[in-house]
Amino acid sequence: MLSFTARHQLICASRVVEERLKADLVQHVSRLPISWFDTARTGDLLSRLTQDVELLRFLVGPCLMYGGSSLIFLSVGIYLMFSLSLLVALAALLAFVVLLVGMAVLMPKLQKCSQEVQEAIGDISQRGQESFSGIRVLLAFGRAEEESAGMRELSERYLEHNLRLAKLRALVNLFIHSARDVVLMLVGILGAIEVIAGNLTPGEMFTYFALLGVMIWPLIASGWILASFHRAYAAADRIEAIFAVEVESAEGECPTLQGHLEVRELSFTYMGQSQPALEGVSFELPEGKKLGLVGPVGSGKTTLLSLILRLYDPPPGSIFIDGVDVLDIAPSSLRARFAFAAQDPFLFSDTIGNNIDFAGEGEGGDAQAAVFAANLEEDLEGFAEGIETMVGERGVTLSGGQKQRLSLARALHSGRQTLILDDTLSAVDHSTETRILDRLPEVRGDRSMLVSSHRLSAVQDSDLIVVLEKGRVSAIGKHSELLERPGYYATAWQRQSEEQALEGGAD
Amino acid sequence: MARFRGMDEETVNQTLDFSYLRLLWPFVRPYRRAFLACVIMLVLSFLVELAGPYLIRLIIDGPAGDALTEGSEDYSRVWWLGLGLFGSTFAGIFLGYHYTMLTAKNGQRVIRDLRLRLFDHLLRLGPSFYDKNPSGRLVTRITSDVENLNELISTGVLQTLFDLLRIFGILGALFLIDLRLALYTLLVTPLVLGVSLLFRKYARAAYRRVRGCLGRLNAFFSEMIGGMRTVRAFGQEAAVLGHFSKLNRETQGAWRQTVLHFALFFAIVDLVLRWSNAGLLLVGGTGILAGTITIGIFVQFYLYFGKLTEPIKALGEKYNVLQSAFASCERIFKILGETPMPLEVDAPIESQPGPAKLEFRAVDFEYLPNTPILTGIDFQVEPGSTCAIVGPTGAGKSTILSLVSRMYDPSSGQVLLNGDSLHELSLRSLRRRIAVVQQDVFLFSGTVLDNVRLLDPSITEERVRAALEMVGALEFVAALPGGLQAEVEERGAKFSQGERQLLSFARALAADPDILLLDEATANVDSDSEARIQRALGQVISGRTCLVVAHRLSTVRHADQILVMQAGQIAERGRHDELLAQSGIYAGMIKGLG
Repeated sequence: MLSFTARHQLICASRVVEERLKADLVQHVSRLPISWFDTARTGDLLSRLTQDVELLRFLVGPCLMYGGSSLIFLSVGIYLMFSLSLLVALAALLAFVVLLVGMAVLMPKLQKCSQEVQEAIGDISQRGQESFSGIRVLLAFGRAEEESAGMRELSERYLEHNLRLAKLRALVNLFIHSARDVVLMLVGILGAIEVIAGNLTPGEMFTYFALLGVMIWPLIASGWILASFHRAYAAADRIEAIFAVEVESAEGECPTLQGHLEVRELSFTYMGQSQPALEGVSFELPEGKKLGLVGPVGSGKTTLLSLILRLYDPPPGSIFIDGVDVLDIAPSSLRARFAFAAQDPFLFSDTIGNNIDFAGEGEGGDAQAAVFAANLEEDLEGFAEGIETMVGERGVTLSGGQKQRLSLARALHSGRQTLILDDTLSAVDHSTETRILDRLPEVRGDRSMLVSSHRLSAVQDSDLIVVLEKGRVSAIGKHSELLERPGYYATAWQRQSEEQALEGGAD
Repeated sequence: MARFRGMDEETVNQTLDFSYLRLLWPFVRPYRRAFLACVIMLVLSFLVELAGPYLIRLIIDGPAGDALTEGSEDYSRVWWLGLGLFGSTFAGIFLGYHYTMLTAKNGQRVIRDLRLRLFDHLLRLGPSFYDKNPSGRLVTRITSDVENLNELISTGVLQTLFDLLRIFGILGALFLIDLRLALYTLLVTPLVLGVSLLFRKYARAAYRRVRGCLGRLNAFFSEMIGGMRTVRAFGQEAAVLGHFSKLNRETQGAWRQTVLHFALFFAIVDLVLRWSNAGLLLVGGTGILAGTITIGIFVQFYLYFGKLTEPIKALGEKYNVLQSAFASCERIFKILGETPMPLEVDAPIESQPGPAKLEFRAVDFEYLPNTPILTGIDFQVEPGSTCAIVGPTGAGKSTILSLVSRMYDPSSGQVLLNGDSLHELSLRSLRRRIAVVQQDVFLFSGTVLDNVRLLDPSITEERVRAALEMVGALEFVAALPGGLQAEVEERGAKFSQGERQLLSFARALAADPDILLLDEATANVDSDSEARIQRALGQVISGRTCLVVAHRLSTVRHADQILVMQAGQIAERGRHDELLAQSGIYAGMIKGLG
């Protein structure tokens, strides 16, 4: 009864600690600046949340429990042994100490080795992932045999690491078993000698065997606990490092804004980069107008839009809304103005409807208009549960184009003043894109719109088109003006017209 | 620690199906001697295991007992028996160590062979297989699933048999030692067993819930990190956190349930074990007092009795291991059962390098029954000439290219290379004559050099350099830290789209193919790169037999032949000028372009 209660209480407490720690960690992470996420890898974060938290939990839960009971068992056991016979007890103790030391030495090695094994299987997994994703290239060039050879090499390495791990495991086992068996042997021999010498009765000798049986598990547990201290410290350090990162400031004014956007000599360099992503970008967009943003991949379009949203902090005095520096506006209040649709959108594993109403502020809750404008209505009809269909995991897996259109619908559905579309239609085919572009003005109403796109057809009707090349504004103006100037815009327009023509879409 | 597995695992049957062992045999066969050695070591170690307590009994009842009853001080017998004990102990340790090592080695070798076999097989399955199976799931097959078999192969089967042997062996020994005590044991063992089984039933359900909760929690966390920009942009941090803490609480609840089961189980098993121990002492003690057994015999019995619980517990755990191993087995052999696509004929012709003439003869192709993608395709491409294909998306342009590299076989009709049906050629010799440039340039992790030579060590560094130079890519590659040896990270994220295009041209050039299949990219590159790509294109095309899905006017203008595709058929064909003169579909398509 006592053991039940102790176990239950301690372990449950450790689970509560785990939950709190996870909650705190995630809350902290959710408030970290976006720039932090650029370098953080999801896999690493996930292992902080899972493995490292588990290591700490292990320390407060099982470690404490087994540690406590081990301590009691061992001290009582050792006292009893010594009270029976000094010689036999000393011998048994010696073997125990050897076991403990062996465990303490081997355990860290074992953990390091098992990490290497994990890394080796990670390599195999990554290689496999690449082979399968790039299978068409490999097959087309007839390089399957060479790829196999690469995999063979990785498998051999994995095998070697595994054998090293097996060896260490066998050694640990050897220590445990030999300690048990050697103690048994010592007690058998020395005990007999003591019995013959008249210092011990056979009954007492039996007591020894019984004691040894009771003590062996606490002893092994002690070895484990010693080893896990070491790991838990490292885990705590890694978690602490995340908590040490400063969260994004939430302060600032919450003014009522009209929406006149001005960018003034904006330059921006990502942390850890030497090349600026944007240099001396300036333009002005009155409220209710449409801005088109074009340029080659990597020219800074996404960076510019992210800065306007203040996902990164721009330098002071470079972006203004109604004359107010965005740095002086509280991030939450600023972002509440914008409805954002990204090229690679994030959708929750939730129903399509809930994803569209992500912001929870759709007008009247009816998403029909947004669904229609994003040309999703036919897709929805194709799903058995329509707008209640689950996205991802347990539901349908959406194509890249469908995801983009869903994210467009999400942006349109929220009643926010300014729409930001960051190359949102890149994975959508030509005819669908044309349809969406036709339907967009109606839902847009008199809202401002910032559109970046690699397809010029999407920005053709903008009030202002900004051409970015290598972070600089290389041209600015309306469609008709830009066509007359030689440069990226005119060339790209020619190329895209050819392409469209050869795909038979000229009419 | 259990690796996190995808949640969309296909459901597999839950019973133990031992017929899979037969399928595994070919993989185990090469190492059967080593496995036999394991069996021998197991049996030996079992005998040694039994010997220890027996020797202790001899010591207690022999010299020690005699010392008590007769007052003799026979130390030499103690030493002899002690030496025996010493020997058996170390023999046990020695055997145990080598057994562990050998089983690990056996298991790992079989696993390695199986993994390579599976991987090779996967590489022989055509693109249609990959269309249906997401690569993430296939990775699970070559990692987790193969790993799952490790325990089954290395220790699973052997150890299970051995555990049974141990249980019966020990019980037998117990009966030999003392009937009354043995009968008592028979009475108690089922009780321990019953408690364990009962617990497992509940625990499994509880753990399944935990796994479900954890899976959802971790998946959501990953999503949240991946989507942080969107969350931030919409100001939905609170909603997301709320959902996380809901999942977090659920997980904690599920854990507590298992803790309850576990705590209860340990308490009960502990209780049962203690009672049975107490009972044993009672029965044994009365026996000693009544003089039916000696103390030594009782000690021996007690030590044996302690050894009994181990294999019983192990057997219980084995069930889960076996179950998941068989499930993995089913998934692995399902893939191994897939027919490689396309199949080679028995004695394929080795296609020799040289000028290549391509011919499509009445080719039909359908991917799904009754939805034709190509119908009645007939055309020839003379050696060294360029054939451009134009037409709307979905007209079957890319499919024509896929048929040339034999990614698929035509449903009817023939594709011929220099008069030989592709079907007759060895796949490797055919594909080694072809290079492909796709719209989406796939870069592998590894160095730039590796990516250009695409794993083929026979392509020298000089050739790679020359290829890069010809397409005008050497400049930016040389500027990278490490030059040719620079690492391509994360699928080449650090290269611009134009640079990736040039790298893929270099890859094609380095392979020095007779046939080039090119899907012209919808490039969004700066004017400089555009000009470079145009020049590189000219370099790559010249002197080779080329099939190009064309997106550029300059490409079609210079093509020796243009095929205008519509709904899977060739609607028009000819040179640019000829087609313009026809004023048909093609002329309409490019009307209004410069």
